Order: sequence, then structure tokens, then C-alpha cells
Amino acid sequence: MHADVNCGQQWRCPQRARGRGTLPSPAPARAAEPTSPARDCALGPARPAPTGDRSGGRTEGLRFRPHRASSRSCPPGIPALPQREALVDDTEDVSLDFGNEEELAFRKAKIRHPVATFFHLFFRVSATITYVGCDWFSRSFVGCFVTVLLLLSFDFWSVKNVTGRLLVGLRWWNQIDEDGKSHWIFEARKVSPNTVAATEAEARVFWLGLIICPMIWIVFFFSSLFSLKLKWLALVIAGISLQAANLYGYVLCKMGGESDISKVTASFLSQTVLQTACPRDFQKPGLEGLEIHKY
Amino acid sequence: MAEAAESPGDPGTATPRPLFAGLSDISISQDIPVEGEITIPMRSRIREFDSSTLNESVQNTIMRDLKAVGKKFMHVLYPRKSNTLLRDWDLWGPLILCVTLALMLQRGSVDSEKDGGPQFAEVFVIVWFGAVTITLNSKLLGGNISFFQSLCVLGYCILPLTVAMLVCRLVLLTEPGPINFMVRLFVVIVMFAWSIVASTAFLADSQPPNRKALAVYPVFLFYFVISWMILTFTPQ
Repeated sequence: MHADVNCGQQWRCPQRARGRGTLPSPAPARAAEPTSPARDCALGPARPAPTGDRSGGRTEGLRFRPHRASSRSCPPGIPALPQREALVDDTEDVSLDFGNEEELAFRKAKIRHPVATFFHLFFRVSATITYVGCDWFSRSFVGCFVTVLLLLSFDFWSVKNVTGRLLVGLRWWNQIDEDGKSHWIFEARKVSPNTVAATEAEARVFWLGLIICPMIWIVFFFSSLFSLKLKWLALVIAGISLQAANLYGYVLCKMGGESDISKVTASFLSQTVLQTACPRDFQKPGLEGLEIHKY
Repeated sequence: MAEAAESPGDPGTATPRPLFAGLSDISISQDIPVEGEITIPMRSRIREFDSSTLNESVQNTIMRDLKAVGKKFMHVLYPRKSNTLLRDWDLWGPLILCVTLALMLQRGSVDSEKDGGPQFAEVFVIVWFGAVTITLNSKLLGGNISFFQSLCVLGYCILPLTVAMLVCRLVLLTEPGPINFMVRLFVVIVMFAWSIVASTAFLADSQPPNRKALAVYPVFLFYFVISWMILTFTPQ
């Protein structure tokens, strides 16, 4: 493996797995290599071989790069490049993951699952529209009833099984163990460097859709009750129970271990109110410091 | 400064050296941050289940659920005691069957004002509230079956009665008469018995032995009411 890369005789090339880590690298004597100064010194073109290696395909899975010296080890008289450029060079040099550009684009996109977002809202909104507009679509009570019921069922299934885990990484289900006891399990996906956290736009779409639609169905409940169109009551009750079940399940997932719902709602409301009032105060502290570690 | 003892880039040295062998000689003069990832190869069984369904594709989810529904329908047609079947309950089967039954039990033409609305909702209410009542009864009697499992079983066992409804509708296309009625009566009775057998195969086990009759009797009533609705159905 070492033979693939021309590291130069005096240099011990550190091995770097997955492009994310830095192993301790030896600092060879600069004076011994007058023709190839450190890369982050201002003499750009004279770069050692591993940089040129980039275009020629990849080695087995490891990349070699020369020692990345800090600015003070540049030969005298040569100004050092600012640190950021050196870092950019480093990450360019060690991009190992195939399809990294797609992954970057994926991470940067505001909505990562457009189909899931669309379907999250599609079934709910079309159920509501069909219920409201059934007098105009067809005069048949039965057709309208069956259509709305099927849309509500598909909405329940898709929100519970698909959009929840794709958009916000939450999931809940019921499990029955061998004794016949049923357990309701709520889980939230941990954010790790392997997985991406939910984007803000997706989370907002998810929660707004989840909260607003049951409220609309509650309004329908009262309107059908007071206008005495009681034949629709069964449908409205079914709609409310299906959507409220999803909302309840996801709220419990989100709350995680906290059992005090009043505390959670208070903190959630205060956060959203203050955030819309003064958004700049809520940027995470030290964000600029974190940019260095972006991959 | 580091001591580079041997040069790895020298192609002349043919002796294969173990990897990282020379790194033990290195001393670091400055702090270089070290980051990395550690993957733990062993996972507990629960975690494995989680990650397998957390990241599966949508198509897999759909196929898995469809297969589960199909398996339950098969179990109703050939009732056999099976504990594992009951563990994955779902309410898709009952929904489909209820909608089908209610659609077939409508009277009157589709486009008129009184187009079978009340009868349609009536079937729904009877089926779902009946199932809920039976479940509550069985739980109050001390059964150790969960609420949704019981709803699932009762809903799926409506399948024979739905088949009976289909047959009755076909038979009613021929000319009315006593033979017509006898055929329908026979079919409904057979399917009713089948439903009872299928549901008690699952439900009776969950009850303590001296309460089995008490738990099965509401199921009997439930299916009796549905069979009555089917038998007395006449299309206008």
C-alpha cells in the first residue's frame, strides 16, 4: 500500500480512515525537502505527489497525505496560507466516500424527502376537502363516506409508518409479548454523525399538519352535531380518533422520558414565541467554531 | 521531532512489515485533535429490530403489512390455534370487510336522496360498537387479551359472513320463492357457525376456564345480529 503513493523518502505518511480522523502525524524535518515545502505555505504549485493522486483514481480505501504543518513550520520568507484554505485542501484530498457530492447536496437540501412530505399532507387535506365538498362532487352519501374513510385510513397508515420516521425520525408502535401483555413503544431516532437530523422545514410541515387537521375535524364534529346532520357523525368521529391517535403517539415520542406534559408544552410554546420574536438570539452559540468541523 | 526510523516509500525493501509498526516510535510535539468513529459490532436484539424497520424502504413496509393482512385472512378460512398470529394485530381487514358488508347491505338506488345512508351508517355502528362492547365484556371478565387484539379477531371473523352476503345477493338475482329462502338460510347458518368457530379458537383461550361460556355468548349474539341483517335483506 505504501508503494502506491509517493510520499517522499523522509516522510511517514499517516493513514487516515474514512476521511474523518486525524492520526498523529510525524513532523519531518523541513530542511531536508527544499523542493517541496509544506502545502499550506504560499508556494502552491510545488505540491507533493499525493495531491496529484486525487485525479488518478483512488487507492484501496486509504488516502495518504503529507504532513499538514501549521504555519510556523513554513520555511522562512514564505508566508503561510490562512488556515481555512489548508483545511479545504485537506478535505478535498481525503474525500473517500463515494457519492459524497450527493450526500452533501442531500444534507444541504431544505426538504430531503419531498415525496413523503407531499403524501403527509395529501391524504389529510384531500380527506378534509372531500368531506367539505361532498355535496358538490356527488349526491351519494355512501360514495362520499367510503372515500373519506379510505383517505383517513391511508393517512393514518402513512403518517404512522412512513412519514414519521422519514421526516422527523420518530416512531411508535404496539408490541405484544409472550404473556399477552401489550406494550406501547415510542422511540426517537438519535442524531449521530451517521444519520442526518430532520431539517427545520420538514419538521415544521410535519408538526403543523399533525396538529391542525384534528382541530379542523373537531370543528366539523360540532358543526354536524349542531346542524343535526347526524349521519355524518360516525365519519367525523372516526376522523377525529384516527388523527388524534397519531398526534398523541408522536407527542409521546417527542417527549421521550419526560412525563410532565405541562412542562413540555410550556417550554415548547416559550421557545416558539421567543424564537419568532427575536430569532438571532437563538442561534446556537459557537456556531462559527463548528464550521471548521464540517465535512 | 519524530524519528522516522525506516522509510516506507522505498520500494527496494522487499521485506513485508506489519502495518503501523513504525508508529510506535513517534512522539508528538503538538496537539493534533483526534476524532473517529467507533462501531460496536454487537447489538442487542431490540436494537436490531428497530434499525431493521426504521430504515426500510416504503415498499417493504407496504408489502410487509399486506402479507400480514393476507395471512390473517387465511387463518380465518382455516382456523387453527396460533398464538403468534394474534401478536401482530391490525385493523385493515376489519375495515375492508366492514365497508364491503355495508356496501352490499344498502338498499335503494345510488343516486336518490334517501340512498341508503342510514342503513350504511347503521351497519358500521353495529359492527364497530358491537366489537368494542364484546371486548370490554371480555376484559371485565378477566381475560388477558388486549383491546385491539380482540377487535382484530372479531373483525377478521366477519369474513365468512361477508362471503355469505355475496352468495345471498347472487341467489336473490334469481326468482324469489321458498327454495330461494332455504338456500340463503342454509348458507347463512353455515357461515355463522364458521365465524363462531374461528373466533372462539382465538378468544376462548384467553379466558379462565369457568368463564369461557360467558365470554363466548356475546360473540354469538354479535354474529347472530349480523346474520339476521344478511338474511332479511331484500333489495328494492
